[in-house]
Amino acid sequence: MDTITLAGPLEAKLRAVRGAGFTQIMLNATDIVGHPEGEAAAVKVVRASGLRVTGFQVLRDFEGLSGHLHAYKVDVAKAMLEMCRALGSRVLLACSSASPHSSQEVSLIGKDLQKLAMLAVPLNIRIAYEALSWGRHVNEFPQAWEIVQEADRANLGLALDSFHILANRTELELLQEIDPRKVFLVQLSDFMWQEIRSPEERIDTARHSRVFPGEGVHSAQVAEMVRQLDEMGYRGDYSFEVFNDDYRQLPLPVVAERARRSVKWVTDQVSRRSLPPRRKHA
Amino acid sequence: MAVQERLPEPSNPLGIDGIEFVEYTTSQPQAFGALLQKMGFAAVARHRSREVVLYRQGSMNLIVNAHGAGESTPGKAPLIAAIALRVRDAGVAFQHSLDLGAWEMPTRAAAMELHIPGIHGVGDSLVYFVDRYRDFAIYDVDFVFEKNTKSDPPALAGLHYFGVVQSIFGDRTPDWLDFYRSLFGFTVLPRGQYFGVLPKGTLLESPCHKFYLQLIEPPPGSEEIHWDEGLVRVGLGAPDIPKAVKALKDRGIVFVDHGAVQPSDKGALTQVYLDGVTFELVVSHL
Repeated sequence: MDTITLAGPLEAKLRAVRGAGFTQIMLNATDIVGHPEGEAAAVKVVRASGLRVTGFQVLRDFEGLSGHLHAYKVDVAKAMLEMCRALGSRVLLACSSASPHSSQEVSLIGKDLQKLAMLAVPLNIRIAYEALSWGRHVNEFPQAWEIVQEADRANLGLALDSFHILANRTELELLQEIDPRKVFLVQLSDFMWQEIRSPEERIDTARHSRVFPGEGVHSAQVAEMVRQLDEMGYRGDYSFEVFNDDYRQLPLPVVAERARRSVKWVTDQVSRRSLPPRRKHA
Repeated sequence: MAVQERLPEPSNPLGIDGIEFVEYTTSQPQAFGALLQKMGFAAVARHRSREVVLYRQGSMNLIVNAHGAGESTPGKAPLIAAIALRVRDAGVAFQHSLDLGAWEMPTRAAAMELHIPGIHGVGDSLVYFVDRYRDFAIYDVDFVFEKNTKSDPPALAGLHYFGVVQSIFGDRTPDWLDFYRSLFGFTVLPRGQYFGVLPKGTLLESPCHKFYLQLIEPPPGSEEIHWDEGLVRVGLGAPDIPKAVKALKDRGIVFVDHGAVQPSDKGALTQVYLDGVTFELVVSHL
């Protein structure tokens, strides 16, 4: 599960997630810095929870900047990497830039991601680069994959988010082009209307109205995506990236229970043989 | 359409020219100093204001830093805290590294002390860049040389720096290869090409061809042992290993001589001293 789906303090989120039988948690930087007793206390709570940290999010608008904007973002990235390490997370999620100041030059984007990956090496962190569906220049995973290949760094790979793929109607068959070992994280969610008509609606839906897999109207595509990744040999983590305003005003155990049902739905979509129970983490 | 010419990357972007010094930190400077003397090093200078001693042997400078080490656990093994690389221009090397994504080291120089730029390496270790090593030595600023000791003691049996061994987590070899290749211009030696008596891991050669790095992942089936990332051992080269082994044995150094590791013409490994320090000898052409 992902803490962004749940309301309340970090301790309550971790309790609810564990209570529903999950073994991992995807953390957001605001969980850590927003802790009333400070960052160190938050790290301690996470470490004591017994949950493995799937990943840490999110570094935004990093690549393609120049001059003082670039220097500023490098400082932000360093602070996020340090938090990521403190939490024992091996993955930092970096989503493609939506900044109007970012360059569209692929070589510059690649160079900046190389730099981010280099910053992450001594900290034992991998960078999962995700094509945000409203990213300014990179908004579909094939573009992100091309850049990751070109940058050619061992600890730089992809994060695949079903929402962004569905929202932009990216062909799922294009997943076959990707080396599954370079997929560092898969985030699953769905939404409840067939079509998204404008970029504004896409952002609004992404931030407020996602649902768990199996609860939305694109179940067939979500199932197909998981099946394909599994057949390709992807053996990494899945996480539910569900931003939903309703869920943030429901009791935590209720939401965690919905997430647990979604795990069952996901695993039912692929054969038991190819997705054994030990990989039912989300 | 504009065609961009792809120029080859310079093979030695930082102008690396060997190891200027290796720095250890320890809370047992006397015991470690005694070990270094057995290994053929001599204490030649002391830092003006800190508990730091410069040891030398032939071309090798070795710094023992006990400054502030009192807080660390007594009995903890001396650690390799830094490697200083000779470079063409320390400022340029430093900036180039930062541009590529290295972490800047916080400055440690006090007023009137020489500031040596550096970046973070593996674990808690640092990599310094030194460009004053020809007509002027960095030690002239911060160190006071011993009056009754030669400042340039000769090397025992031709000992010199050969390389450094770095432990890394499992599956981390590709990450660290990227680090050393992109930042410094190291090249990977073909699999199977090893020196010495511990043929494992991945060997990298410096762009100046003057020293090596060996990356070691935990051996299979070692899930139970404590394994961390860091610089674990210095390798010393010598043209004639049996001669070097004998010279060191005569000074009281004990070598491992059981199992797969035996002193040979190729190399030798000292026993573990002070709960964690070893030196490896490697037959060397350097």
